[in-house]
Amino acid sequence: MTRALADTYYLTLRALRETMRQPALEIGNVFIPIFFFAVTVGAIGSSAARAFGVDNYTGFQMPIAVLQGVAGAAGVAGIGTVTDIERGYFDKLLLTPAPRLSLAMGRLAADGVRICLLSAFILVIGLLFGSGLESGPFGAVVLVAMSGSFGLAYSGIGMALALKTGSAQAAQLGFLIFFPLLFLSPAFAPKEFFAPWLEFLATINPVTYIVEGMRSLVLEGWDAAALGKAFASIVAMGAFTMTLVLLGLRSRTA
Amino acid sequence: MSAIVAEGLAKHFNPDIKAVDGIALDVPEGQIFGFLGANGSGKTTTVRMLTTLLRPTAGRAEVSGLDVTRHAGAVRSRIGVALQEAGLDDIQTGRELLTLSARLYRVAHAEIHDRVDQLLRIVDLEDAADRRLKTYSGGMQRRLDLAAALVHRPSVVFLDEPTTGLDPISRDAIWRYVGELNRSEGVTFFLTTQYLEEADRLCHDVAIMDTGRIVAQGSPEELKASIGTDVVSLRIDGGADELARAEQAVRRFEGIEDVRVVDDAVICYVREGSSAIARLVLLLDDASLRAKEVTLSRPTLDDVFLKKTGHHLEAEDGNPPGDAAGRPGRGRRP
Repeated sequence: MTRALADTYYLTLRALRETMRQPALEIGNVFIPIFFFAVTVGAIGSSAARAFGVDNYTGFQMPIAVLQGVAGAAGVAGIGTVTDIERGYFDKLLLTPAPRLSLAMGRLAADGVRICLLSAFILVIGLLFGSGLESGPFGAVVLVAMSGSFGLAYSGIGMALALKTGSAQAAQLGFLIFFPLLFLSPAFAPKEFFAPWLEFLATINPVTYIVEGMRSLVLEGWDAAALGKAFASIVAMGAFTMTLVLLGLRSRTA
Repeated sequence: MSAIVAEGLAKHFNPDIKAVDGIALDVPEGQIFGFLGANGSGKTTTVRMLTTLLRPTAGRAEVSGLDVTRHAGAVRSRIGVALQEAGLDDIQTGRELLTLSARLYRVAHAEIHDRVDQLLRIVDLEDAADRRLKTYSGGMQRRLDLAAALVHRPSVVFLDEPTTGLDPISRDAIWRYVGELNRSEGVTFFLTTQYLEEADRLCHDVAIMDTGRIVAQGSPEELKASIGTDVVSLRIDGGADELARAEQAVRRFEGIEDVRVVDDAVICYVREGSSAIARLVLLLDDASLRAKEVTLSRPTLDDVFLKKTGHHLEAEDGNPPGDAAGRPGRGRRP
């Protein structure tokens, strides 16, 4: 176990070094969510607030900006793995005694770290826009940790596809899947305003509970039930995606 | 003791594609073992099974006394591998790559710095150690890949086409390191190569692989002696008809052991080749044929390869399987 953690740590450092040497790749992940956040709040913020009875629509939207950033940043592990496979470096890693799961977890953990930093940055921008944060500084830490752990779990989709197919296009599917999930959550309006069919889909969508958990930290303070559901969704999603990752790893040495 | 043992080792990618079809190997410790074969003969698939990257369909294999399927993790700790293409991460520097390899191979933390410096020195990459790998030439990448394979002092090293595509100086450097490590530390090397004269010079034993099977195995001297004859190559002036008639003509020579037609030449395996040449040329003359070039040689591994497989070994870089300078080993090639 100790060896697995140590190997994961070394491979995480390597993936983060890769990110630091290609900083341009992060620009889109930072710019796009902030752009949509600013445009959404600026365009429909006041009317949406009245229509939905939300006092602070800027705060209502801030978790969506964070999650959009997560979606963009969460694809890096899969793409990086495809690059390793294409270069032949992934075979070199498979030839080491490092546990197979560490080879995947190194890059996934690096995604988690990058997403935490990105989320903290978007959070600061949100605060500058006036979103507020009812749960205070510790709530900011929890929100960032929540986005990082969700990002780590979500990156597993791209990683599993990368391992199974060795294809960059397939690895990017993880990013594309996220948008239906986000739009089928109460991203722009509370669930109570949804048509019944959409409300049903939102209820079974794990992203809904992550949105509501983050939103509770911003708008309400500490809501144990909302936070519990959010972290339970992340754990369930993580269990699912890590199973896919393990299957993908197995297929690499069939 | 054996460093590598395989019995009935097979890999079938579907029922129709038998990449490796039940081979047996026994490589003693401390040997340099050459695995020769054309593209698609099953060499790389064999290496990938022996190094735990592929599960065999049938049979078994042991490396350093450990079963490659049941004790894959322990096998990986004891072997070093440089695959056909230097699989490196070009975002890292040479030093970073070796350091990461050392960590993943459990080299003692206090030893890593010195070991990395030592390997960089051995493969002449000290000056480039802190440059990113994307600035390295192909030869430099291969040397670094070899260093990465050695970082944990493995007892068995697999090198899959370690010199293909390299310039003669880089090729010579790779073989020099292999020879030195084998002599000084007793490391067993299992290598595939398309350069038969290099294999002849460096390997203690070789195996020739063709269509998934081993068709010959032994020391280069044993294999060459197994032909037991001189080789007379007659390049024929003319086309396919003339070649066919030439083959028929030389078969009438009473001292002939075997005849092969390769490209534009008729290859004759004969006893006492020096005295046979004149008779063979006369037989051609009787058939109204002309040899535009006649060569007499002792058998080489290329001749063994040709005799066992029916074709020459073509190097992947487009060069014939000649010596380290890329020269053809014999004058009979077109």
